[in-house]
Amino acid sequence: MKNQIALRAASGTVAFVSACMVVLPGTAHASGVAAGTLIQNTASATYTSGSASGTVSSNTVTVKVDELLDVAVAGLTSTPAVAGSSNVVLIYSVTNTGNGPEAFDIAVNAAVAGNDFDAVVQQVVIDSNGNGTYDPGIDTVLATGSPTPAIAPDAALAVFVIVSLPGTAADGDTSQVQLTATSTTGSGTPGTVFAGQGDGGGDAVVGSSTATQSDNDALIASLASVALTKAASIVDPFGGSQPVPGAVVTYTLTATVSGTGQADSLHITDVIPAGTAYQAGTLTLDSAALSDAADTDAGEASPSGIDVNLGTVAGGSTKTVKFNVKIN
Amino acid sequence: MKRILIATLGSVLIATAPAVAAAQTNPVELIGDVKVDKVVVENGKEKHVLVEPGVVVPGDALLFTTTYRNAGATPIKDFVVTNPLPDAVQLAPQGADQLVVSVDGGKTFGKLTTRRVTGSDGAPRAAVEADVTHIRWVLPVLAPGASGALSYHAIVR
Repeated sequence: MKNQIALRAASGTVAFVSACMVVLPGTAHASGVAAGTLIQNTASATYTSGSASGTVSSNTVTVKVDELLDVAVAGLTSTPAVAGSSNVVLIYSVTNTGNGPEAFDIAVNAAVAGNDFDAVVQQVVIDSNGNGTYDPGIDTVLATGSPTPAIAPDAALAVFVIVSLPGTAADGDTSQVQLTATSTTGSGTPGTVFAGQGDGGGDAVVGSSTATQSDNDALIASLASVALTKAASIVDPFGGSQPVPGAVVTYTLTATVSGTGQADSLHITDVIPAGTAYQAGTLTLDSAALSDAADTDAGEASPSGIDVNLGTVAGGSTKTVKFNVKIN
Repeated sequence: MKRILIATLGSVLIATAPAVAAAQTNPVELIGDVKVDKVVVENGKEKHVLVEPGVVVPGDALLFTTTYRNAGATPIKDFVVTNPLPDAVQLAPQGADQLVVSVDGGKTFGKLTTRRVTGSDGAPRAAVEADVTHIRWVLPVLAPGASGALSYHAIVR
């Protein structure tokens, strides 16, 4: 009598921490007058000379305001994003704290010192519709090496980094992912001048932020593992427990899900052993009867085998399936 | 990379347009200038130096100067020089208490400490440097040949 047992489970799933609206700061003119602005100063005078009065104006002196290159980056995923088997969205904001429209190069580093694991970066996406929420298929994927569109002075752009867990991640492991935004005009020591490259025709000057800034978002692996045990008890026609023809065997399949995550699409299936016959109407899940038909309840049984669909099972729970066969 | 445009318009007009200005050559000259007031550290000490405006960004300090001269042969009286502040700058604290200023677009003038404005909450409050719209200098008499310079410090907004 040979039994076969099969278990299908996709372990872990995403408990997605996203739907929170991102409120991006927007203070007016925090970054100063716009690059390219002309500062023009003219003095005028009135006077009397003898009985006549006169007026005179000075020449106009003009100073063009150059472009200040400054940026601020903030990781907006304040509590670690919970990562299971699906992708996780990490949210960052990139604020142009300079005084001219500026595009920024985005670099994502998943190998931050101290990580338990390094997340796998799937995509970098910009919040093209500006609602602060990742909209797959609507928001624009940033091709590798492509900068953001120009961001207006004082404006912020939300950037989504889509990551997944590597195979090496274990339940409860944590990791950080760093996003760096760098002005496409240039970066470096504050005061560095890029002659003629400023918005509005002037120069571009690196500000106190060095025109490149980084921040981290964190994620935590939430995984589940499934253990399955099978036990058999026999009641023979003579009141004993011998596997003789006519004896009824009760199989007990116990699925134990552990970990902080959950098991998705968990099925318990089993094949009716050769030389035995399934006893109709004996399939149970956690002591509740399941019909043999393939219908709305979780289980189905036939002379060839049983299949119980447990669906999503949270870590820390146990599911027990029983059925009877009679030895021919 | 000079972004100062010292237009010599006034003197050019006088020199090249005698047909128009023949009746009256203006006896008073006003010449504007601007410098960037940079702080440099030299031998561990901070020092202000005035340089030609090369690179100018928000937060930089500027010194605007207007030089006057009575080029005529007769005394000039009631000499009042008015300088509207460019929108993109605000008056710097440096020397501001010595100036006669307006915070109402040039209607009234006085020391900054005597000026009041309506705050964003609708209530009157004491004016600050950022409220200043005009600066005025009044010189009762300019003798023939007399000259001088009037200046104010400003910060690029």
